[in-house]
Amino acid sequence: MRYLKTSEAATLLNVSPNTLRAWERRFGFPKPQRSPGRHRLFTHGEVASLRDALQEGLSISSAVSRAREGLATDTNSLTGALVSYESERADGAMESALALRSLERSVEEVLLPSLEEIVRRQSVDSAAWAFAAHWAADWLGRARRLAPSPVRPISIVLGDASRDELDPDAAWIRALELFCVRAGANVLSLSVRGVAGIGDAVAVHHPNLVVIAGGHAADDAVARWAYAVRLAAGALPVAVYRRGPQRVRMRTTGTSVLPGRASEAQLRLLELAETDQRGRATRVGMESPQRIQSDRRSASM
Amino acid sequence: MTVSGQMARRGALALVPRSNEETEQPIWFCGHCGERPALSGAPALDARVCQSCGLGLLLETGANAAPKPGGAFLVLDRSLSVCAVSSGAETLLATAETEAVNHHVTELLVPAESEGGRHLASAVTWAARGEEEFRDVFVRPANLFGVRIRARIARCGPPQAALLVFEDPQR
Repeated sequence: MRYLKTSEAATLLNVSPNTLRAWERRFGFPKPQRSPGRHRLFTHGEVASLRDALQEGLSISSAVSRAREGLATDTNSLTGALVSYESERADGAMESALALRSLERSVEEVLLPSLEEIVRRQSVDSAAWAFAAHWAADWLGRARRLAPSPVRPISIVLGDASRDELDPDAAWIRALELFCVRAGANVLSLSVRGVAGIGDAVAVHHPNLVVIAGGHAADDAVARWAYAVRLAAGALPVAVYRRGPQRVRMRTTGTSVLPGRASEAQLRLLELAETDQRGRATRVGMESPQRIQSDRRSASM
Repeated sequence: MTVSGQMARRGALALVPRSNEETEQPIWFCGHCGERPALSGAPALDARVCQSCGLGLLLETGANAAPKPGGAFLVLDRSLSVCAVSSGAETLLATAETEAVNHHVTELLVPAESEGGRHLASAVTWAARGEEEFRDVFVRPANLFGVRIRARIARCGPPQAALLVFEDPQR
């Protein structure tokens, strides 16, 4: 994937960097990602697609619309491949998408919308959905295996409350796991049905955040699992992802409800983990002088 | 006797005015703000973004139809889809270009005359095909009654399209 800085993208489009930023505000396109230093990074494919559309366009809006349509063909071709039971063609559609976008955007703008389209057209009881859901789980799993090793001191235990891979939430949960792993976090995903022995898993993983994701498992089952994790790991921040609209509306104490988009949920999770780490560091800093004094007292006695 | 000699003998006769094609100078303008570029002549195809506002592409039309800077106008294709909405037209029609683009023109405008429906559609189609003549029509915003706005429809481009310029009420 080739990325362009703002000045490079502006040169390719023959406009000033300010104009490019104005387009981002007005049209939301081209949509940059941010570098670790928060600088804009544009995908070459999007910029080139817009450049071509501008040459044949009557307005910036119509050119943006045409460039977007060009990018949307990946979604259509992936949907077409999946409903035709052609996994190689589906892999090819994702390869095309990856040529124009980051992996995160390819998943959010091509893979997940294609799955939603199949659910809408064919229903979750169809063979087409069974094939698509299995292919998506496999593709996301492969992408996760190719992700670099964790680099952040953030460890997440994800309680999977979805039914199985045919559950429409499952792909979203796998996408969130993938994004977290690619952001450098260590993620352990466990079904909420597996409560026995959870202490061993927690002892190995040392989580600093718990996520409960998916809407299939009943609240009782989720509560049992969360209680077992809490017993083993102590009080940890808990976040909820795609538990269903009725639960999102519920008042929760100390539980964060994550946004529906996997990329936004991943950013929120990292914020939560970092806030918690800073809070712990502050508490340790405040406690340590008292501890020192009590240690001195006990030493003098 | 030569033609000029014959003309000289018939002093009361005047030459037939030349067609628009011959008299009109092409004018370049921004499809969003209506400003005219500082440099004369046709801009390069890959350098048509307006340097004044940065939100429109430079288009060319005849002097008789060219909008004024800040003027209200639309750019339509031959299928009567909206391709551009100027900032003035955004205010006049209470819409945003980003919402109006790719929608049928009748979602924004309707003819204000009983026979105007066909007239508007044919005027746009002819202009979008590159017809040199301009045509005047009366229209009103689709959601507003009791209003008549004169609009001039002429060709513009590239690529070939129709330009619908609302008459300035101040004029």
